[in-house]
Amino acid sequence: MSDMSWKDLRDLECANLRWVGESWKTYATAMVEQTERLRTDVVDGHLSIDNYESDTADTVREQIGLIGDRFEDDLSDYATIRVSTTMLETADALEAEQLELRELVGLIEDHDFEIEGDLHEYEVNPSAALHRAIWDLKPPEWLCDRVGIDRASAWYDLASQADALVHIKPVYDSAKELCGQYQDWLRAIMSRAHDADDDAAAALSAMKENPPELPPQFGATYDDLIDDYKTALTEEVAAEMEAIANGDTDMSPEQVNQWWEDLSDAEREALIAAHPEWVGPTDGIPTTARDTANRVLLDNEIDSLDDQIASIEAQLAGARGYDEGGSVDYDALQAELAALRQDRDDLASLQDQITDDEGNPATYDKTGQSYYLLGFGTEGSGQAIVSIGNPDTAANVNAYVPGTKADLGDASGGLMGRTETMARDAYKLDPGNETATILWLGYDAPDSVAPEAMQEEWAEGAAEDLESFTQGIRATGGEEPSNMTLTGHSYGTTVIGLAASSEGVDADNLILVASPGVTVDTADALGVESVYATTNDLDPIGWGSVHGADPTREAFGATEIESAPGGVSENNHSTYWNESNQTGRDAMAGVITGVAG
Amino acid sequence: MNHPPESEYTQAEAYAPMEAAAADAVLALPDFPGFERRIWAELPCSHNGIDDSDYTSIEIDYEFSLENSGSDLVREAYTDALRDYWTSLGYEITDEYETERGDRVDRGLVVQREDGIVLWYRVVGIVSLTIQSGCVPVSDHGEIEYIPPTGGIEPGSENDLVEEYFPDGIPTDQAAAIDPFANAQAVGALVPFEAPGSYEDLL
Repeated sequence: MSDMSWKDLRDLECANLRWVGESWKTYATAMVEQTERLRTDVVDGHLSIDNYESDTADTVREQIGLIGDRFEDDLSDYATIRVSTTMLETADALEAEQLELRELVGLIEDHDFEIEGDLHEYEVNPSAALHRAIWDLKPPEWLCDRVGIDRASAWYDLASQADALVHIKPVYDSAKELCGQYQDWLRAIMSRAHDADDDAAAALSAMKENPPELPPQFGATYDDLIDDYKTALTEEVAAEMEAIANGDTDMSPEQVNQWWEDLSDAEREALIAAHPEWVGPTDGIPTTARDTANRVLLDNEIDSLDDQIASIEAQLAGARGYDEGGSVDYDALQAELAALRQDRDDLASLQDQITDDEGNPATYDKTGQSYYLLGFGTEGSGQAIVSIGNPDTAANVNAYVPGTKADLGDASGGLMGRTETMARDAYKLDPGNETATILWLGYDAPDSVAPEAMQEEWAEGAAEDLESFTQGIRATGGEEPSNMTLTGHSYGTTVIGLAASSEGVDADNLILVASPGVTVDTADALGVESVYATTNDLDPIGWGSVHGADPTREAFGATEIESAPGGVSENNHSTYWNESNQTGRDAMAGVITGVAG
Repeated sequence: MNHPPESEYTQAEAYAPMEAAAADAVLALPDFPGFERRIWAELPCSHNGIDDSDYTSIEIDYEFSLENSGSDLVREAYTDALRDYWTSLGYEITDEYETERGDRVDRGLVVQREDGIVLWYRVVGIVSLTIQSGCVPVSDHGEIEYIPPTGGIEPGSENDLVEEYFPDGIPTDQAAAIDPFANAQAVGALVPFEAPGSYEDLL
């Protein structure tokens, strides 16, 4: 675990990290040119078949080619993907946090606060000097302004001093409130910095665990060994893919994307065909490949559930005939059967949603965009990640993170209806630039308002996956980064907030709709350039937040989007895209398409 | 509360008055260039803050072409015309907003009728007339009757995006049988819309 302190981060020379990354990249490029010379000048030149024609010459040419291939592969895998990209990604990540930290430390010092405590639980508290000033009834100007009192202009300004005495508790409370916000911000910065540091360390140390195999040396056993070597080369790609999918390589989505792009078309097609279970869920692999793999997985999963259902039905039929009251737990089997049927129905509905009558990927006809399946699962309440439009090529990407009671069945029902509405809204706002709209139910959402949605464990379970998902979208999105928005509703905002503050999310905008809190008390702690929040006046979520400050409070620092409620007799927690909130819908679509007013 | 508020219509019943409202609004638009697309869509409804699959919220969109969406006629004059017209019918203006977005001004005009139907003239990149039902009890798709589109869109064409409700094809016999203007209200002194022989020069 990273032991970087805030002072380490503040003083870190990120340029040095970047220089190392760039140097390795330059080195790798230069070395590939050498390999190319070996092929053209030596194999196809001096040692060409025109000059040397024999079995031995063929073997030598093959040996040189294999060594060249291995050298290039290793340059790509190690020098470029691992060392160089790790260094560059880490430099970018730490530099972003360093910039925020320096701004924050300036504010902390300006307000006469100080940083105390352990590097994983920093505290921001008033300094002794600030304590003294408050007790001397001479709080600083900024604190008087926050509380709304006049600062004593001189020792004889007794009226102002009396005012300060009367307001001494609010003065303290105000100072502590600001300390709390800065503390949230500092902890979020350091959490993300530690995360980047740990990721880099893991990626570099995993490299040592996979020493490359070289072609066999010439000798009596060469003919036997070379066949094994070639077989191993074929299997190596699958083994690497498996390690990536299982998280054993600690490669970032950007590194995964580079690795994928370095494969040949044939290798990629073979992986999708043979191992869709590794390709489908992996962030960093392009959307079209994941979609193809996930559709195969979906077919397989439905078939598997059909088999399981048939098996249990057979057991139950047998139990009726011969085992009534016997060894078969009839109730347990009935419950299992019901759960399997529910999963099967939900997955079949999802399949219908994304597939047309001919069995091809369906198109959302209102925007002319295809559906892409980026992930699904039946664990807990179920998961589904479905995109309307290809996020790899779209100018704007909006991922909608739903909240409490979101489940797999709803992924092709109401949640998809809301996703499609956002897609239509974006299309209307900016028909000239494509917006990909994603339903991101990539986590097990709480099943109840109380107690489950009162707990943060569901958000904690989602944080790393949401971070990885945003990084994956960036990695597959090409050189022109999209305008990326995460739109959370209800507990979905808590998921986004926790992921953004603890892991970091690679997004341009956050829209926090009907939020019960985002686990931090200030927008600054979320580490995203633009944070928007909206809660209508009749939404009961506004009566009190559970997971930190209400993001629509001015002190939180988000830009508020106006949302109109529906009828006074309605519960207005889920009406933000409905007939009562036209202003809010257009405002959200404006942010998502980057044409905010 | 256990359910969304009482609705005057079921889903199947709501389409006719909603379509009639659209057709009626068209009559208030002078020099009408025609709509380009019609869309039937739905949004989830909720009770106690949680989506309720027994209810749905219908949205019918009539979109102008991108070219017409850029004209002052459609962006400004029609907003004024609809404000005057809907106000004259006694509809309550529930929202009116304007947003500057770079070199264009977006706006919205929203009215609600006593039967709960909401009419939204939405001036954004693509200008549309959107009719919203509010929450209504879900109907089987088999109960939903086809209603021909208004505003110059050819029924059952590729611009009539209602296919998912009629997977076996647009029932043209129903199209002829239903009069979308049946529930329309009087237009007063405005000149009724006469469909041109061809939209070729207009769309």
